[in-house]
Amino acid sequence: MDRVTRRHFLTTTAGLAGILAAKVPPAIGQQREISYLCWNNFAPASDKKLAEIGQRFTKDTGIKVKIDHISHMGPQQAKYAAEVQTQAGHDLVEMRMHFPWLYEPQLVDVSDVVSELEKKYGKALSSGYEGAHVHGVWRAVPQYHGMFVCTYREDLFKKASLKVPDTWEDLYTVGKELKKMGNPVGIPIAQNYDSISTAGPILWSFGGMEVDKDGKTVRINSPATVQMIEWYKKMYRDCMEPEVLSWSDASNNESIQQGKAGWVHNPVSAYIVAKMRKLVTADGINHHRSLAGPHGRHETDTPRHIGIWKFSKNVEPSKEFIRYLLGKKEVYDEYIMSGDAFNLPAYEKLADHPVLKSDPKYAVLKGEGVQYHTYGWPAPASDKVQLITNSYILPNMIAKAVTGTTTKDAIAWAEGEMKKIMSG
Amino acid sequence: MAVRADEIAVRGRLTGMAAVRGWLDRESILGPVFVTPALLLILLLVAYPFVMALYFSMSNAFIGRPSEFIGIKNFVNLWKADAFRQTFQNAFVFTGIAVAFKLVMGITLALLLNEQLWFKRLIRGAVLLPWVIPTALSTLGWWWMFNSLYSVVNWTGIALGIMTPPGPNWLGQQAYAMAAVIMVNVWRGLPFFAITILAGLVAIPTELYEAAEADGAGPNARFWHITLPLLKPVLAVVVLFSTIFTFSDFNIVYVLTHGGPINSTHLFATYSRMVGLEVGRLGEGAAVSLYLFPLLVFVVWVQLRFVRKQAY
Repeated sequence: MDRVTRRHFLTTTAGLAGILAAKVPPAIGQQREISYLCWNNFAPASDKKLAEIGQRFTKDTGIKVKIDHISHMGPQQAKYAAEVQTQAGHDLVEMRMHFPWLYEPQLVDVSDVVSELEKKYGKALSSGYEGAHVHGVWRAVPQYHGMFVCTYREDLFKKASLKVPDTWEDLYTVGKELKKMGNPVGIPIAQNYDSISTAGPILWSFGGMEVDKDGKTVRINSPATVQMIEWYKKMYRDCMEPEVLSWSDASNNESIQQGKAGWVHNPVSAYIVAKMRKLVTADGINHHRSLAGPHGRHETDTPRHIGIWKFSKNVEPSKEFIRYLLGKKEVYDEYIMSGDAFNLPAYEKLADHPVLKSDPKYAVLKGEGVQYHTYGWPAPASDKVQLITNSYILPNMIAKAVTGTTTKDAIAWAEGEMKKIMSG
Repeated sequence: MAVRADEIAVRGRLTGMAAVRGWLDRESILGPVFVTPALLLILLLVAYPFVMALYFSMSNAFIGRPSEFIGIKNFVNLWKADAFRQTFQNAFVFTGIAVAFKLVMGITLALLLNEQLWFKRLIRGAVLLPWVIPTALSTLGWWWMFNSLYSVVNWTGIALGIMTPPGPNWLGQQAYAMAAVIMVNVWRGLPFFAITILAGLVAIPTELYEAAEADGAGPNARFWHITLPLLKPVLAVVVLFSTIFTFSDFNIVYVLTHGGPINSTHLFATYSRMVGLEVGRLGEGAAVSLYLFPLLVFVVWVQLRFVRKQAY
């Protein structure tokens, strides 16, 4: 070991003190690095592809990118809260639904990036616009969107000569038979997002809403909600099993994949995973057109966006990564294809993407005649609408009603909770 | 001259060290010196977060936005929300039943472990396992056992003919869900009771039992008149700790039921997390976690008084 001279020691110490005081590392240590936090995608192959694209981005630009994944049910929001409160953490974050409204003051204006993408791919889809365009500013970049469809066991339907349902009432008719066959309908009524993604379309199909178009007046207490709850009550009693009260977002997927549920309301992820794991049920699973009610055919659209925290010290490199992932057509195509039709492009000109032709079972994803909305429709997107969602008021109202609370009391409870949020 | 200067320096250093030694010999200085690091740690890791929580609970803090002081409004609003009142009730039901089971079963298990058994050490070690395994991991195992699709509990029950298919919906029905979280809490907390009570049992002098036996006291009389009275201080401490731990339990409920169905298994910690971090109302979330603080302080005070009385 070399002997440390007094002069060498003093020079090194002074240098270190200088770096610490200036808070700027010397050029040799200035390796640019960004970090990105996103969920564990229900189409796992797209997470692998994202990692691969990240490595290529590093090779092409010299900017290192670290991609972390987190479960979206709870841990994600808690992690975001912690990062915002401590003003430290990742540079890029996945934003879903109306999250950009919730975190508006903490997100960088990314209008420049979105404008470049819109020039190339056409306007962002309405769901992306509703979710990420906050008070005239793009607070996150639309990344992709997933659509809810009806997923069913075509083989079982054929075996029992059941008619593929066209309305929610039809579903009740076939659901009774499915339950008798030991393959009940699986609609979660629990504190998770899938429960809301199904309750919304049913409520809309009956003509109901949570909050009015003005974004202020709570409208959950209506005859349409009564109809919707009565429908849920008979479905719960005659077509489903009480297990739906304990389900997580993954449970309906698992139930149809493992051969139990005969019909679930879910994006194509259940089929994608069954196919990927070569499950015996994969061949029998198919999708059919969204169901209608007296007020039309509605579905939930779940947009995802990428945001950049304001506390990030790497805003430009982060924008560079978004441009690389979404702005390079060949990379974006590759990313979308890897999601196997679970992640659909978020821009108008890409709507008829080749991924929809990659499997005949994705034909239904074109969604003709279906109106797609984000949570809280027809109320405009807002932080309060996202708060109503995150408080799971809709599924809790239904859960109360199907487990013994009167319809009137369950609705009154939900109305009270929603009013509390709107006035807060 | 140089030598003289060195000598002066060495002498000066020696005098300095002697002075430090002198100070350290004084109890009034040495005591605080020893306590200071621990005090700093407590201030940093306990007092600071606690004061922050107090501040948040009296503000309308929302994630990432400026907050204002609103007094006790959060506490009043919470009481008006039925999800909170449900949580309040859950906490008492959960803690009351779980601690009672752990106490009775803990004493029984300790008495058994105190007997002359084969592989005594191995058994005593094995009993501790549920307490040693990380709770989140072991609870995941229980989640699989209670899961409606894969429930091994129901499968066994149905196979033995004591359950009718499909068996109870453990995590989806309110009473069963509460039973499930209590069951897992008892399973996890029982070793703490058993091993601590066993330590108390071992400390009871055998002469007392011999004398009682000579006087004709049977096993029941020996338990009620010797074992139990002498175990009281240990039991008080175990119950005190367990009450606090059980009230503030988080992992089991979070992993097993996420507070559902319809908030029927939420405890203060899980509800506080949901309101504060998932919904974003940091102020209200902090108020949830501090709601029972005064009551718990009172419980601790009463129990510690009782322990002191027993000790002296």
